[in-house]
This record gives sequence, C-alpha cells and structure tokens, in this order.
Amino acid sequence: MTLFFLALASAAGGAVYALQGPEAVAAAAGRAGGLLLRVAPIVVAAVLISGYAQALMPRETVQRWLGTGSGLRGLSLATAAGALTPGGPFAAFPLVVALLGAGAAFEVCVAFITAWSVLGLNRVIVYEIPFLGVHFVALRLLASLPLPFIAALLARPVGRWLRLGP
Amino acid sequence: MILGLVTVLVLLGLFAALAQRRPGRPHRTALRTGWRQLRPLLLRLPLALLAAAFLITLLPQEAVVAYLGESSGWQGVLLASLFGGLLPGGPAVSFPLVLVLIDEGAGTAQLIALLTAWSVLAFHRVAAHELPTLGARYTLARLLASAPLPIVAGALAGALVRFTAAGI
Repeated sequence: MTLFFLALASAAGGAVYALQGPEAVAAAAGRAGGLLLRVAPIVVAAVLISGYAQALMPRETVQRWLGTGSGLRGLSLATAAGALTPGGPFAAFPLVVALLGAGAAFEVCVAFITAWSVLGLNRVIVYEIPFLGVHFVALRLLASLPLPFIAALLARPVGRWLRLGP
Repeated sequence: MILGLVTVLVLLGLFAALAQRRPGRPHRTALRTGWRQLRPLLLRLPLALLAAAFLITLLPQEAVVAYLGESSGWQGVLLASLFGGLLPGGPAVSFPLVLVLIDEGAGTAQLIALLTAWSVLAFHRVAAHELPTLGARYTLARLLASAPLPIVAGALAGALVRFTAAGI
C-alpha cells in the first residue's frame, strides 16, 4: 500500500513537473504539507482512541450480544453491534468468522459487517466529524441507516444461490 | 479542524480515564494497538496527501464539478461509487482525499456514494482481510449483497439534500 502511494505520488508529481513546471510541484507539495500538519495530530489521537476502544470492549463482549438471533430483532441488534464495534478490519473480520462458527445466520453477519463499515461510530467520531463536519456526517448517517437491513435482505437469496450453509 | 482536534482529545481523555478505572488498567495494551495502527501511516499518510495534491493539480476543478458536482446527478453517483470502491487505504488516508474533493466542488450525494462504496466494497480491504479470513464464497456473497448500497445511499442523500434545501 505504501509502495502504491509512492508510485502514485511520483507519477503524478512527474506529470505535474512536465506539464506545469517546478513551481506547480512546489505549490502542490506546500498544500500537502499544510494539510499534513493539520491532520497529523488528529490521526495520532485517533489511533490511540481506537487502541483504547479495543482494549475496553473485547471481541467476546460483542459475540455474546449477537448469538444466533435472526429476524428484525436480530438484524437490529447486529446493526447496533456493528456500529459500536471499534477497530479496523483486523478486529472485525475475525469476529465475523467467530459468529459464523457460533451458528449466526449469514444475513446477520452481513448486517453486522455493513453496519460496522458504514455506521461505525468509532470512525465517525474520530475521523469523520473532525474532517468533514457535523452537518455532512449527519446527512451521511441518515442516508446509511437502512443499508445494513437492505444488505441483509439481499444476502438471504444470494447466500441460498451460492449454497452457503443454513 | 481545531474543533475536531478538541473533540478527539476530549474523547481520548475520557477513554484513558475509563481504562484507569478498569482492574487491569489496559493503558499498555491500548498504546500497543494504537502504535500498530499508526506505524504504517507514518510514511503512507504524507505520500497519500502528496499524491492527492498532485492529482488535484492535474485535474482541473471544472472536471470535478462536471463529473462529481451537485448537478452531475445519478451518473455522478455511479462514477463516485466506482471511484470509492477502488480507493485504497484506511480512514486516515481517505478522508483527507475527500476533503480535497469537497474543496474542488464535488456534490454531497456523490461524496456520500463515494464514502459508502469505499466503506462497504473497498477492494483493498477485501483482498487483504476479508478473503483470507472469510473465504471466497462468503466474500463473494457479501459483495453481491452490498453492491447496490453506494447507489442507494447516494440516492437517499440526494433526496435528503433536496428535502432540506426545500426548507420543509
């Protein structure tokens, strides 16, 4: 991933140099530096919060919440749990594997992972509000609230079609 | 952005205080997890910001407004969804990119479609985490069930923007 950004930055920087000259390269680099200075303290605090959230709310707690319940109540619970589950994909996907292993329905897992990715409160509070502002984030959350349920509804026929377990 | 920093710092203090009251006082675990997340960003974040700044310099503002602006409609939502699904990197890398797109005049519904696609489809995350842990069939099933979501979110956001703009 780092190499990807290195390649992208070099290629785009080279193109800017060739097309618009060294002044444009310097101006863009200055812009990036300014943004970095504003963003860096937030990012450092953000990863620390994420570390604390994972230490305070271990995987087993979430797992106990979800169990095997399906239906609207199960989906709502999965959505709430997904929104509250802190941490990146390192934490979330092993949790889904554990849930599937414990007998949770596939659509419940889809609702959980969709809620984790679009509603994840950890990310909303730590990254999204500081960067994008409350108004934009409120609008996005409102538009995203139905998504875990829609994905779960679609997951049932798709799961049957692909012959995933019961 | 200052307000954002204050929010984040207050939250961090709150979490640290909570951890202080826990029996094990898991400060060390929290710091270790946080550092593990920060380490890859030390190089990646500056590079991503630099790449974004160069790309935006190459991309004229009129193009962003024409293809992703408020008036680009559902084609803009579709394009933003494709772009979001391909956008690599975690939130520390992606939100600054979105911030730049806002500055350049991208529309709200289009940006929400982009962020939704980035969060539910994120092909880099699928390859790095989901395929290895869930396996190909479950991953495919989840992706198929989630494919329409960015467009749904974009359409809903567009409707909400019109609704609030109408002053109801």
